[in-house]
Amino acid sequence: MDFLLKIEESGFSQWVREADSLFAFPGILLLHTIGMGLVVGINAMFDLRVLGFAPSVRLRAIEKFFPVMWLGFWINAVTGAILLGAFATKMTHNPDFYVKLAFIALAVINVKILKRQVFFPDETGTSAKARVLAVTSLLFWLGAITCGRLLAYVGRNAL
Amino acid sequence: MNSGHIHLLLNHIPTIGFGIGFALFVIALLLKQADLRHACFVILFLTAALTIPAYVSGNDAREALKETPGISDPLMQLHESAALIALVFMEMTGFFSWIGLWIWGRPSRFARLNVVLVLVFGALALVLMSRAAYVGGAIRHPETESAKFIPLNPDVPTLARTWGAFTQDQSWVWPAAETIHFIGLCLLFGVVLIYNLRMLGVGKTVLPFETLRQLLPLGMLGFVLNLITGMMFFVATPEQYTGFLFFLKMSLVVAGAIQLLYFMLRNKDDAGIWTKLIAASGIVIWIAVVFCGHMLPWLGNSF
Repeated sequence: MDFLLKIEESGFSQWVREADSLFAFPGILLLHTIGMGLVVGINAMFDLRVLGFAPSVRLRAIEKFFPVMWLGFWINAVTGAILLGAFATKMTHNPDFYVKLAFIALAVINVKILKRQVFFPDETGTSAKARVLAVTSLLFWLGAITCGRLLAYVGRNAL
Repeated sequence: MNSGHIHLLLNHIPTIGFGIGFALFVIALLLKQADLRHACFVILFLTAALTIPAYVSGNDAREALKETPGISDPLMQLHESAALIALVFMEMTGFFSWIGLWIWGRPSRFARLNVVLVLVFGALALVLMSRAAYVGGAIRHPETESAKFIPLNPDVPTLARTWGAFTQDQSWVWPAAETIHFIGLCLLFGVVLIYNLRMLGVGKTVLPFETLRQLLPLGMLGFVLNLITGMMFFVATPEQYTGFLFFLKMSLVVAGAIQLLYFMLRNKDDAGIWTKLIAASGIVIWIAVVFCGHMLPWLGNSF
C-alpha cells in the first residue's frame, strides 16, 4: 500500500495526472488509444483472414505487419504502466482492471499459439483448430477493449 | 467567415450536388453508359462523405442563431430531425455506391442488385434531403413563406431528440457505443495500416496489389460502426460537438474518403513518390482523426 502511494505521489505521476499539458494525461492516453489500434487492428486482420475473409491475401503477407502489431503492444505496455502509476491505488482496487489484464495476457498467448498453428509445419490457416483460435483471439481483444473502456465507469472510484 | 458560412456552403452539396449526381446516374442507366455510371458512383460516394460535415456544421449554425430574435428553435429542431433521417439514406446510398466501385470490373452477381439499391436509396435520399432543405430554408428565409406550411408541435420530441434521449438516458448505451466506436477504430486502423504500408513498400513480395482490395470491406465495416456510434454521441449531446476541432475531425474523414478513392480509381501498383506520399497521408489522416476525437475534452468543447 505504501509502495502504491509512493508511486502515485511521485513527481512524475503527479505531472501525468495534474499537469495542464497535452503531453501529460491527454497525450499519454492518446498514445494508448493509437497503440490499441495497431495491436488489435493487425491482430484482427490476421484472425479474420484465418476465418476466411480476403481469401486471396496470404497469411504470410499479414504476418509481415506483425512488427507493427508488436510496436503497438509495447507503446501500450509503456503508456499503460505510466497510467497505472498515476492512478495506482484506484486501479489496483478495481477488479475490472485485473479482468482487462487477464484478457490481454490471454490474447497475447493466443496470437503466439495461433501463429504456430498456422505456419508450422507449413502455411495452412484453415484448420478447424486455427479457426477456433481466431475466434478466441477476437473475443479476448473484445474483452480487453470493453474492460478498458469500462474502467471509466465501474469500480468505487471510477477513473 | 464563421461556422454559419460553412453550413451554408456545404448544405448545397447533399441537395443540389446530390441531385445532379443522381440525375446523371439515372441517365447513365437509361443510356447504358458504363463509364458514366462509374463516375456517378464516385460522385455519390463523395457526396455522402461531404454530407457528414454538412450535417454537423448545422449544429454550429444553430448555436450561433439560438439567441437571434425571430428565429424559431422548434423549426431548427424539425430541420435537425429531417436532416438526420435524410443523412441515414444518403449514407446508405454512399455505401452502396462504394460497393459499386469496389466490385467494378469484376464479375459479380451482386452488381445488378447493387445498382437497384443505389437507385432506391438515392431516390429516397433525394426526397428526404429536399424536405430537410425546405424546413431549413424556412428558418431564415421569410421571403419563401414556407414556415407557414410547416406544422410545428414543440411539445412532441423530434426524432433526433428521441434518439438522443435513448443514448443518454439508458446508462448502458453510451459506454456500449464507446466500446463499439473503439472496435470500429481497430478494424479501420488494421486496414489503413496494411493497405498504406503496403503501398509504401512493406511486404511487396508476398502481398500483390490485386489482392489488397479484398481487405477494404473490413475497413469500411469499421467506418460504418463508427459513423453509427458517432452519430449516437452527436445526436445525444450536440452541444459537445461544436467548434473547430470536431469540424476538423469530420473534414479529415472526407480527406480519408478521397485518399481511399485515389488508390481504388488509380488501381495501379508502383513505387513513385506520389504513391508513397499519398499512402503516408492515409496513415496520417486517420491518426489525426483519432487525435481530434480524443482531444475534444481538452481542446474542444466536450466535457
